[in-house]
Amino acid sequence: MSQKQFVIIGNSAAGIAATEAIRRRDNASKIIILSDEDYPAYCRCLISYYLAGDIKEDKLSYRPESFYKENNAEIFLNKKVARVDPKKNRVICEDKNQFSYDALLIATGASPKIPEIKGIKKKGAFGFRSIKNTRDILAVAPVTKAATVLGGGLVGLKAAYGLKKRNVEVKVIIKSKQVLSQMLDFEAAGFVQRKLEENGIEIMLGQDAAEIIGNGDIKAVKLDSGKVFESTLIIVGKGVSPNIDIVKDTDIKMNEGILADDSMRTNIPDIYAAGDVCEGFDAALGMHSINALWPIAVEQGKIAGANICGENIGYEGSVGMNSIEFFGLPVISLGMYKLKDGDTGFEELKISNIKDNVYKKIILKDDLIKGAVFAGNIRSSGVFLRLIRERVSVSPFKERLLSENFGYPDIMEFVKDKDEEKLYV
Amino acid sequence: MKQLYYDVKKCLGCKSCEIACAVAHSVSGELFKALREEVLSLPRKKILFSKNSNYPVSCRHCKEPKCVDACMAAALVFDKEKGMVLHDESRCVGCWMCVMACPYGAIRPNIKRKLPLRCDKCKDKEGPNCVEACPTGAIIWQEEL
Repeated sequence: MSQKQFVIIGNSAAGIAATEAIRRRDNASKIIILSDEDYPAYCRCLISYYLAGDIKEDKLSYRPESFYKENNAEIFLNKKVARVDPKKNRVICEDKNQFSYDALLIATGASPKIPEIKGIKKKGAFGFRSIKNTRDILAVAPVTKAATVLGGGLVGLKAAYGLKKRNVEVKVIIKSKQVLSQMLDFEAAGFVQRKLEENGIEIMLGQDAAEIIGNGDIKAVKLDSGKVFESTLIIVGKGVSPNIDIVKDTDIKMNEGILADDSMRTNIPDIYAAGDVCEGFDAALGMHSINALWPIAVEQGKIAGANICGENIGYEGSVGMNSIEFFGLPVISLGMYKLKDGDTGFEELKISNIKDNVYKKIILKDDLIKGAVFAGNIRSSGVFLRLIRERVSVSPFKERLLSENFGYPDIMEFVKDKDEEKLYV
Repeated sequence: MKQLYYDVKKCLGCKSCEIACAVAHSVSGELFKALREEVLSLPRKKILFSKNSNYPVSCRHCKEPKCVDACMAAALVFDKEKGMVLHDESRCVGCWMCVMACPYGAIRPNIKRKLPLRCDKCKDKEGPNCVEACPTGAIIWQEEL
């Protein structure tokens, strides 16, 4: 095999998965990984557990120290890429270093969106995305009595959980009428909200911060209702935007993120995209969409890595999904999680039991599962994900879908299993 | 590599395998002591009844394990030499991404312990406990087909 040079921008889920996928096929070519962060690959999604004190910092490492050496990959930390030059097949860094490539993977991830609120730039307001953010927050947590989280999405609620575990009083300010509005329907959100409130986290719905008050350091938050309360720490969880700046002057096609086809190729030959920066095909929605989730980034990185080595692997697309757990309440959402006004022809199957904290909802159209939400009891949720992805008609087992014992045996004759996966004789 | 296979025609759904599994993974390793342990040991195998038959469901140690890819804590790894998906409990945070990703629904959450329940083929013992426990010989422990 001729020796090539592959450059990967980004050192997290997608970048690492791609590195491993390349090395499974090609031991000769050079792999260069560029990261603008200070740390070897780490478990980004665990920073809330680190904030909470549930785990120590050493558990954040995603791969052993020897990873880069063993995979013969050259890692450059604190190396911020300024731009990609597809015409000359090279990447130019802010420090003027240049790297040429035979194939390039853009896995730059995303950054917290910081809303335009008066005073938000004051000392004491943080995004919550990196080890650095977490260390900054932990440094002030011991002297923080009251904190405010802006945004009721996953990141915001996880931050609130972490702070609460550090005995900081937390208010979560949420513009919409429910928590996790990008992941759950209103009813399921109620289960999560009750759990958070039972554990002392204050949730304020239908409100937004109007001003962060303080002379230098943050002292208080003023809401759009005019209400003011004390708070010296602000965590912003208002979503993320894909890190696309480095390609904005190129011909690489973008929408919100970088558009990639089912083999993670962009419109430019030899340039691939994967992970949170990538707007790939969504199997549940039937269109391109950013599904910023760790497992999806890994999946996309693996495919990009294989195709960089000359293979031609495609996949059926990702499904927007998520799994979270708060104070013993597990919640999983898959694909379409709520119907919008004007959606017609859908059917909902539902169990809602507040007493036992169990909620299950399945959204169907023409006997195909389009989405599902589970709270309290998440067993066999992977089976539902599979039914969504493989577009399996549920008509033979529809009446079993909500049953306690529904599982793989019910679907095994209708899904694509390889022969060697057959265990039942 | 040895794998667990099931002769569904022989399975009565008696759940002896579930009990043997829970006992094998208890602290004491003995049924009556296991029942009194502070945190009750739960089975990593479940019998699901479907279409007039009983199907024991547990982790099958896929060669392309979706749970490993999904694990955001790097607690799950595929050990090529052993041909097994291994789980490092000390790294696990109980996020349930693996439960969401398993296409066989074979990983169940142990909510109390915040750990996934997965078959480990009784790695420290001669062979999986469920095999011996099955009164009808429905569980077959043999080299992969």
